[in-house]
Amino acid sequence: MWAWLNGPGRVFHQPLPQSTNYLGAYDKSGRLIRGTTRARKSDEDKSAQAKDGEEDDDALTELEKKPQENNEDENSLPPETLEDLRPFPLNREFRSQPVLSVELRDAIYNRVVRDGLSVKAVSAEFRVEMARVGAVVRLKAVEEQWIKENKRLATPYQRAVLDMLPRTPYVPEKPVVHESINDLPVHQATRQQIFYPASESRAFTREDAGKVFDATLLPADARIPHPELIEQEKWRLAGMPKAEREAMQAELDRKAAQRKAELERRRKHKEDTEFKTVPGRRWDFKFQDINANAVGQDERSLKGVGWRYGFPHEDRKRGQIKIPRNVN
Amino acid sequence: MVVKIRLARFGKRNAPFYNIVVAHARTARNSKPIEVLGTYDPIPKEPRESEAGNEGQKRKFKDIKLDTVRAKYWLGVGAQPSDPMWRILAMIGLIEPRYRPESQEIKSGSAPATVRGKSASKKLVPEVLGSAV
Repeated sequence: MWAWLNGPGRVFHQPLPQSTNYLGAYDKSGRLIRGTTRARKSDEDKSAQAKDGEEDDDALTELEKKPQENNEDENSLPPETLEDLRPFPLNREFRSQPVLSVELRDAIYNRVVRDGLSVKAVSAEFRVEMARVGAVVRLKAVEEQWIKENKRLATPYQRAVLDMLPRTPYVPEKPVVHESINDLPVHQATRQQIFYPASESRAFTREDAGKVFDATLLPADARIPHPELIEQEKWRLAGMPKAEREAMQAELDRKAAQRKAELERRRKHKEDTEFKTVPGRRWDFKFQDINANAVGQDERSLKGVGWRYGFPHEDRKRGQIKIPRNVN
Repeated sequence: MVVKIRLARFGKRNAPFYNIVVAHARTARNSKPIEVLGTYDPIPKEPRESEAGNEGQKRKFKDIKLDTVRAKYWLGVGAQPSDPMWRILAMIGLIEPRYRPESQEIKSGSAPATVRGKSASKKLVPEVLGSAV
């Protein structure tokens, strides 16, 4: 143990800043592998390849490019390669996945809260999954509240942890791809193999395949998180100029926002007519006018109001889920 | 037998929930009533985000669901609200309030005593509001 501590393990006394410091990044004598000339050469080849593929105007910068450019200016150490992101040397398939950098999180929060963009739009812009965007916004809101309440934040801890993890940087003009955002979620109904004979003369599309799994299952194209990205790509392949594509998308966005506002207005109108609020001393009383006959002749209709007579509660029955199943 | 409009306590321990029922006075609290008029949830709910934005201030609220048409009918045929139900029905003006803090001064003066019982229950919203104010 002492031999290792004083030998190859000596480098870990002073861990390398802005690096994962995994064992696999060092060779047997304790030298950083990516610091050697051989590794550097292969890196240059890779970056040259990457630049070739960059010609497309819509292509987003890959994760590796940004830190490379930075490091070449500041110090001689090349950025971490995929080799360096293996925490378990024997498990070559496992790689550390990047987390959102602080700047990127701030940018996401600002886009959603300050600019008022939809979660979907922000997700598409930064290439971060919608669920993650939602989580970032919620947690940032908590952070803002804590700052307002003068609560102590664990910022040094955050900095220390983030220093040891690969991060997705924030590049204002060309957002870096953080993760794949348009994956088809696996629906329970599709988890079976079905042998379904269809005649050759019949056009059997993805929609038909969805119906085979379950009559109510939407087709895969409607279940993906960002169908609009597919549309945009189709326009691009059809040779539509970029300005026109953007205008078209803006028009669609405007229509969606209009529809949303209309729904909200209708909900508000319904609430205003259906509910009557009587202010009390400590709280309001909210009266809703209902129809007592909605419970039906047998008094069991689900539309009825009130605790029912004549049958027991089902809350102790098996399979009754009482914890909330979604967050609104 | 007297027909009453009253509350029937359902819900769980520490989580009361009431049915607003029309029932004969001498029947048990939770026995099957003549009719269920609605519900009263006495636990104040947190205001929703959207409402707080509009109002500017957050106020908790209690949910009351009530079939006003049926309630008016039962009051009209002489059903007698219990005290808590009197308060609730008075809030939406179906009957005249029994007691209000600012009316004490009026009572001590020459103003007539508040109309109670059947005659009050027959009056509908605008009249009651007019006389109360």
